Amino acid sequence: MTYEEFADTRLAPLLRYAVMLTGDPHQAQDLVQETMVRVQLNWRRVARADSPERYVRRMLTNQYVDWRRGSWMRRVLLRGEADEAVAAPADHAQSAVDRDQIWSWLSRLPRRQRATLVLRYYEDLPDAEIADILGCAVGTVRSSISRALATLRAEYVEA
Amino acid sequence: MIEDDLRAAFARHEPLTPPTGPLRAAIDRLATGRRRRRRRWQAGGAALAVAGVLGIGVPLLAPERSAPPPTADLLGGSSRPVATGALNILLLGLDGDGREASRADSVVLVHIPSDRSRPYLVSLPRDLGVPIPGHGTDKLNAAFPFGAGFDRPDMSKGYELTRRTVAELTGVRVDAGVVLTYPGLRRLTDAVDGVPVCLPQQVRSVHTRRVFPAGCHRLDGAASLDLLRQRRGLPEGSLDRDHNARLFAAGLVRQAAKQGVLTNPVRLSTLLGTVGPDLLVSPDRAAVLDLMRLVPTLRSVEPSGLSLPVTEPTGPPFHLRPDPKLAPEFLTALREDRLGDWAARHPERVDR
Repeated sequence: MTYEEFADTRLAPLLRYAVMLTGDPHQAQDLVQETMVRVQLNWRRVARADSPERYVRRMLTNQYVDWRRGSWMRRVLLRGEADEAVAAPADHAQSAVDRDQIWSWLSRLPRRQRATLVLRYYEDLPDAEIADILGCAVGTVRSSISRALATLRAEYVEA
Repeated sequence: MIEDDLRAAFARHEPLTPPTGPLRAAIDRLATGRRRRRRRWQAGGAALAVAGVLGIGVPLLAPERSAPPPTADLLGGSSRPVATGALNILLLGLDGDGREASRADSVVLVHIPSDRSRPYLVSLPRDLGVPIPGHGTDKLNAAFPFGAGFDRPDMSKGYELTRRTVAELTGVRVDAGVVLTYPGLRRLTDAVDGVPVCLPQQVRSVHTRRVFPAGCHRLDGAASLDLLRQRRGLPEGSLDRDHNARLFAAGLVRQAAKQGVLTNPVRLSTLLGTVGPDLLVSPDRAAVLDLMRLVPTLRSVEPSGLSLPVTEPTGPPFHLRPDPKLAPEFLTALREDRLGDWAARHPERVDR
């Protein structure tokens, strides 16, 4: 498989996945962009993986979880290039509060927990595959999901 | 249930996903830029390393030291005498990127005579049947994978077995060697801004369908690689390809000389750094730099192209054989440093 073929079929699902992770189309674009640039530069290694798709998803997820640790300069530079891609951003943090409480509660979860929820309830992946993507044990995936659900349930009760 | 609410929330937000078209263009643009930048950094890194080796960096890094930096030693080669006898450098062009078992499909011995008149490029055909130490008789290009191993190939071992095979075949001592992979060839060519090559006949690529008409071209890295892979469709197959490889190598030397790379160790090291691990040198980089110090002593850097005379196979296993009449004479001339005489007596066997 070439990089082009991979991007043809996998870019859109990855971008959707990134939207679910970040909750924001701009950040999702940055995340996918940064990941896919590295994918392109290291395509030979990616293509050698048993499942290039899962390999890239793991790269993207790590990138998301570690995002804050990334250098500021790099993020500023990325911002500068990314903007033409999307029309004016909707102020969806505001609308989410009104319309969609669960979506805004998601944003308060630790990133790893949110990633686990997205992989389970959006991507519908089995626990073993989620563990592989996050690089942790299956038990950790389960406890992470139950902790995240517990947090959300608590919000429900308060609301 | 909260799980269902979650699924519904995710599904509801799918339309937030922006279009992929502009994103894909931005990815390509950024990757291209970063690739270029990465190349510059590698080159810059090598130049810095050389500056360090030459002692330029030492006072900066260790300002508190009162003793003068040991430049005499660090200036390295210059205190060693320049070699005086004939020299032979083995060039191997691998059929691949070296990460999987690759054959050495281009085997060229660069012979520098002791009179320093000019370099000779001597092709050894890859289909030549030769005794390979420890592996019976096989085609010359098989020595590399036999040595390197097929599982996680070790290029230095592949080089070493090919070197022994070539040394036993020709009877000459190999003083240094260079192994180039596909990416190495491509980067090297791009690093000198392309290589001029004049083709005696049209070459049509079976890999990319590109047509290289007879005549002169300036080839970039990708085009060079494409050209040097072609043997099918050429009247004499891999022998014609060897011919093209010699023309290319001569063009590369010419281009490198024009850019001052051959006489400037810093530029040369920069170049080697640009090519990175896809260019393997033996015994080490210092040896290659030492060799380059010979260049100013050469009367001409214009290489003369030759090939070991061979005869067509008449039956299985269809290995080429050294020509029984011409080859011993040729190899004796090579060993005794009389290739110039030999070329003068066989002008039809010298590349034009």
